Amino acid sequence: MAVEHDEGDVDLSNDQIRLHFSNASIGFETGNPLIKDVNLTINSGEIVGLIGRSGIGKTTLLRTAAGLLSPLSGSVECCCDLTMDAKRGSIALIPQRLGLIQHQSVGYNVLMGALPGAKYLQTVLSLPSREIQEATKDAIRAVGLSDKVFESVNRLSGGQQRRVAIARAMVQNPRLILADECLGELDAETAKEIIELLRSLAKEKDIAIFIVDHNPLRARTFCDRLLQLRGNSLIELDNLNERYSLPQAGDR
Amino acid sequence: MSNRILDFYHFLKNRPILRSGIYLILLVILTIRHLEINFADFSRASTNLTILMSEAFPPDFSVITDRAAWSKPQCTFEADWACSPAIIGITQTLEIAFLSTIFGMVISLPLAAMAATNLSPPWLAQITRQILSALRVLPSLIWALIFVILVGLGPFAGVLAMTMYTVGYLGKLQYEALEGVSREPLEVARAMGLPRWQIARFFAIPEASNALISQMLFMFEYNVRHGSVIGLVGAGGIGYYMNYYLSPFQLYDRVLALIIVMYVVVVIIDQISLRIRRKFIDSKDQIQRPRWREVIFTRKN
Repeated sequence: MAVEHDEGDVDLSNDQIRLHFSNASIGFETGNPLIKDVNLTINSGEIVGLIGRSGIGKTTLLRTAAGLLSPLSGSVECCCDLTMDAKRGSIALIPQRLGLIQHQSVGYNVLMGALPGAKYLQTVLSLPSREIQEATKDAIRAVGLSDKVFESVNRLSGGQQRRVAIARAMVQNPRLILADECLGELDAETAKEIIELLRSLAKEKDIAIFIVDHNPLRARTFCDRLLQLRGNSLIELDNLNERYSLPQAGDR
Repeated sequence: MSNRILDFYHFLKNRPILRSGIYLILLVILTIRHLEINFADFSRASTNLTILMSEAFPPDFSVITDRAAWSKPQCTFEADWACSPAIIGITQTLEIAFLSTIFGMVISLPLAAMAATNLSPPWLAQITRQILSALRVLPSLIWALIFVILVGLGPFAGVLAMTMYTVGYLGKLQYEALEGVSREPLEVARAMGLPRWQIARFFAIPEASNALISQMLFMFEYNVRHGSVIGLVGAGGIGYYMNYYLSPFQLYDRVLALIIVMYVVVVIIDQISLRIRRKFIDSKDQIQRPRWREVIFTRKN
């Protein structure tokens, strides 16, 4: 059930496309890629899930999508309709351990999401404009942390920290959110709240969300499409209701 | 006979620690012979020590109470003790340490960000590291000597000399702290497409701030201790007054009093700095780490 895409099939000037992999092989050594022949297109407003065993290269795929690694071959394009300048800030990454700045307040962390959109002089003087401050407050309110604005993030619980990371991504006003194990070891209740938050983001602001989850049953409940990494190829699970096939012994 | 040597060789072959111990002792003996150190010279030391002791004891604490008419810059306080060599000297030493720590921090922080391999391109990191280590090659005493020649006697030369050394030393500590910050916040910033200076300014430096502040306090401590040495070449501070009593007058009792004052002040400053620094020392299993303003203002709950 591998995704069948020919190079000519995809019109890159289409402004719905948020992320496009074509014949990309991903990994660290050219001779030994972790994932081969990735063909994947993610459109705006979509939530795409990625599942697979640990150590199989989910995070590496995500980091390649974020532009932190270059593909060994093939191409990876983000927001293909934009010029280089406008691409600044169009990807929001939420890493596995969230990448928050530990000693700083919730407000500071969320404000950092506004950096790509801020004017150069504002960043030099470290004086955020009124609009940016308002956007930060709105995002913190949206994730329900208004009473913790001046709290240091390392005093918050795991779920609250995840909300801070999501609020930072919201302020950034991106076109694509890449979330790595965003739900982590959260309890079902908290995970559900965060899923609702992401879902409303995708629908309201037309953002594409590419999310890695290690729990296939949970991922199936909130994703529009589900991809699975098996061996070293990326497989699209056509029908979400179809039974999830457990990894076989010979997979890797 | 040769059999025995062979046996000994095999005995050593399987005992690397014993073997390296023997090599080390041989090296120590060779070095002592090369430096022509003669332990018989100790016999003279004891008589010299008695002479020195009899001259230095009891310490003459008039250095705290009497006005020093020859102080530089001219002291204008009414009270005699406020213009005494010890008080002027120690104040100058503290002032030199304070200024050079602040100036050093301002200069070294951008350099450290340039030298950190996770924040800047490899060629720039290499060049900046070379500059920082070049500054560290000379001890502060030599820097003081150079600046006394360049700008003349007095505390200004001391501030410049200590600043140079502070930049080299603090810069190294800082880039190591910056390289130690976790990778993820920096990757978030890179995915946003931020320029390098913004990644350093808004992500790496705040993340490393505890280490940076604790290093700055350590550097102040260090500068207070070294601020006394640079006075020996005329670059201000309490060392200048020690030298004044030492070289023309040989008033060892006054020098001893100055050393005692110096010791007391250094111990007090070390203790204060240690107390504050302990709050910033990172520990992996310690979840709550205070922020800078919480040290000054107590947190309201």
